[in-house]
Amino acid sequence: MRALKISFIVLASVLFFMSCQKNETPLVIDSVRTDTIFELVADTIIGLSNGQPVGAGKFTFFSIETNSVISDADSNSTKWDIGVRGTTIITNSGNSGPGFGGAFVYNGTFGELTSISADSVFRVDNAPTAYAIPTGSNKGWYVYDFPTNLINPIPGRVLVIRTANGNYAKVEIYSYYRGGTPSANVPDDEKLARQRFYTFGYTYQSDGSKVF
Amino acid sequence: MKSLVLFCFIILCGGVVAQTNTDSISSKSMDEVIVTATRSPRLLSNIAIPASIISAKTLYQSGSLRLSDILAEQTGIAIIDNFGKGIQMQGLSSEYTLILLNGEPLIGRTGGVLDLSRITIKGIKKIEIIKGPSSSLYGSEAMGGVINIITDQPGIRKSDLNLRYGRFNTVDGSFDIARRIHKLDVQISSDYNRSEGYSLKPNAMQQTVEPFWRSTQQISMSLPIADKWKFGLTARHNNTYVDNTISVLNGGNTIVSKGFEKSNEYNINPFIRLTISPKISTTFRGYFTGFTAIQELSVKDALGGYDDQFKQQFNRIENQTDWHIRAQSNFIAGAGFIQENVRSNRYDSLSIKRENQIGYIFAQHEEKVTKKLTFIAGLRYDANKAYSSVLSPKTAFQYAYNEFISFNVSYGKGFKAPDFRQLYLNFTNVAAGSYSVFGASVAQDEVMRLSDLNSIDQTTSMLNTVSVLKPEVSGGFNAGVKVKFPHELNAQANFFRNDISNMIVTDVIAFKKSGGQIYTYFNLKQALTQGVELEASKRLRKSINIKVGYQYLYTADKQVLRTIKQGEVYQRSIENGAATRMTVSDYGGLPYRSKHSANIKFNYENKSGFFTTIRLIYRGRWGTNDVDGNGLINREDEFANGYMQANSSIGYSASKHWDIMLGVDNIFNYKDLLFLPGNPGRAGYINFQLHF
Repeated sequence: MRALKISFIVLASVLFFMSCQKNETPLVIDSVRTDTIFELVADTIIGLSNGQPVGAGKFTFFSIETNSVISDADSNSTKWDIGVRGTTIITNSGNSGPGFGGAFVYNGTFGELTSISADSVFRVDNAPTAYAIPTGSNKGWYVYDFPTNLINPIPGRVLVIRTANGNYAKVEIYSYYRGGTPSANVPDDEKLARQRFYTFGYTYQSDGSKVF
Repeated sequence: MKSLVLFCFIILCGGVVAQTNTDSISSKSMDEVIVTATRSPRLLSNIAIPASIISAKTLYQSGSLRLSDILAEQTGIAIIDNFGKGIQMQGLSSEYTLILLNGEPLIGRTGGVLDLSRITIKGIKKIEIIKGPSSSLYGSEAMGGVINIITDQPGIRKSDLNLRYGRFNTVDGSFDIARRIHKLDVQISSDYNRSEGYSLKPNAMQQTVEPFWRSTQQISMSLPIADKWKFGLTARHNNTYVDNTISVLNGGNTIVSKGFEKSNEYNINPFIRLTISPKISTTFRGYFTGFTAIQELSVKDALGGYDDQFKQQFNRIENQTDWHIRAQSNFIAGAGFIQENVRSNRYDSLSIKRENQIGYIFAQHEEKVTKKLTFIAGLRYDANKAYSSVLSPKTAFQYAYNEFISFNVSYGKGFKAPDFRQLYLNFTNVAAGSYSVFGASVAQDEVMRLSDLNSIDQTTSMLNTVSVLKPEVSGGFNAGVKVKFPHELNAQANFFRNDISNMIVTDVIAFKKSGGQIYTYFNLKQALTQGVELEASKRLRKSINIKVGYQYLYTADKQVLRTIKQGEVYQRSIENGAATRMTVSDYGGLPYRSKHSANIKFNYENKSGFFTTIRLIYRGRWGTNDVDGNGLINREDEFANGYMQANSSIGYSASKHWDIMLGVDNIFNYKDLLFLPGNPGRAGYINFQLHF
């Protein structure tokens, strides 16, 4: 009988412990979401102007919060968090949009960035001279290699994003090309035709905390 | 491939075991004369510096046409196809290897690369190869080593005619005539080579290699004047012509440009030698060379076109005095003056001449200290007008333990002067991102000029650090052992290490408003190359010769190694695109370097005039370009595949008047459109040689 009692207590406490764990886990899953976006179009090249390849000049707006592309009509809203046009990435902040966005570039791996340190400074956009995510080769997220004429995201750069509504996300860009980065030896026109397609992974924390 | 490496080791190790067996040894095969190592004739086996010789017979039997063909078959040498076929030796690229023609430097480099397919094998007596820095004797460019092409010298009467036909309608015709007219020895040779080229990509709008022709004419003469004076002159002229068809897709339309690329080169090399006494002689040499390259392209129905012209001249006078003090003690000393200039529309306009003047002195002493120990000490000082001066010492020791085993150790400094491109280039690529590259001596002025035109967006902190370029310098260490085993088995091993600093690389100094970047050159990089070279040769029954060779090579950018160790370098995974921290073992070193390379060569030759050769050349995988954005070679997809090329030839000397040879290069038909555009695949040929 005594043995039965003990085993009952043990069983009950194990169940209680397990249920506690169960109760905790969904909380985390609810507020943190990780996803990958494939080949988001970013103002693909439509022709040449003064010998320079150009697109239509339009940003593609993306909402990290809702994991969806936002139409141009909502460009002046807080529905979007980031916008991409060529190599330029804007945040819904400063003079780019009405939101409470911002960003900075973190050096390290995506996995290592488990929380945003309290003293981190989020920059806001001041287009066209200074963006939260610096533009230019080797200054922000990408590097342009002039012998091969290819643009690659720099490994070890994570974009830490404050969304339009003031939540936090981390973004890692994997590729700037449709079908992945082309081989160095493919013709320049193919390189141009395949560029301006963002493939990126991100983790979004919806509870307003800086922990991923 | 591993089996080939293993084979080399077995040969070497097997030999070491058999070493106690002291049979009579024929060292004749090793006893050839080499001049490049010490600037004076020496027996190859007595040289304290890693050196080898390719004989005229080897050149003929391997069926090579161009210098790049035969060098690609040598241990420790790779031919890299980038702006022409350039050499890579001890892991150092073409710009750090000096190519000499009868002891005088060849000029006309594109992007630092001297295209070795420009040089015909015809009319060459032998090729001498010295590894490790030799700037103490030769000055700039002699960092990785020196290749000296020695052409047929007048003296032996002959009249040879050579005709060859091969795949892609490749035709090569040459003649070589030598006569003595009274006391004057004259030798004339000429070579003409043409090919239709080939396409590695079916249905391509342009061929991989366009039709081309090349021709070389040479005359050499020598004349003894009185007892003590000798006069000689070699003059050479070389032409190349390549068709150019370039198709570019632009907004869905194909734009075809047609044109040509041609080069013209002359070398004039007179000398006077005075034998003062049996022990002292002095030689005055002049060397006058010029190289012109022109590329012209025009588009149908379009105005203008592309016109690139490059004209380089290099003139020097030199005196060298040889003092043969006693049997094993030799001293040489010399001095010279170089005047070189370049005119090119790559820099500014053709009317502006960019110049440099160099004065130099050198001395070397070689002494057999004891019966077993010989040392060489040399020093050279180059005073330059366009950049800082350089002192290049070298010292080498040879210790002959006994008549079968000898050890060599040497250390020397090498340097490479900044070239005109790095000083004065003015290049803007309109097609690809509108970037510009300016030479270091003109960069700040150009940025100022563009700034005045309101075309500069911003400048970087690097702009203020632009300064007069210094020569790139290296320290090279070589240590080797040579062993003569019984039964005509020879083996040698050489360890090398080169530490290069002040390497010139490009960096961004400004951004244009159009988004394009402006680059210039800086003395920033430090690199190292090190490795081991193993060679063995064995003669079987007098008629069969087997040679094996292997090189292990490690290269690295030292700054990159440091930052990897500090955990500041990342790489991107092929599988999921996520970045991870890189480790030293992930780093693939400098691009275009193969960690492993090897060769096996069989040669059979009998007394009835029949010969056959089979040569297997392996080149291990090599890094090509960055794909994952860290600027380094690290990922699987950043390497070109290693490959094995087999070449074979078979020949018969029917009488003393004619020889016939049949050959097939690249028997396995290995092709790689992306990374080996210069390799056409399997190609057969037939060759006739007539002697009158």
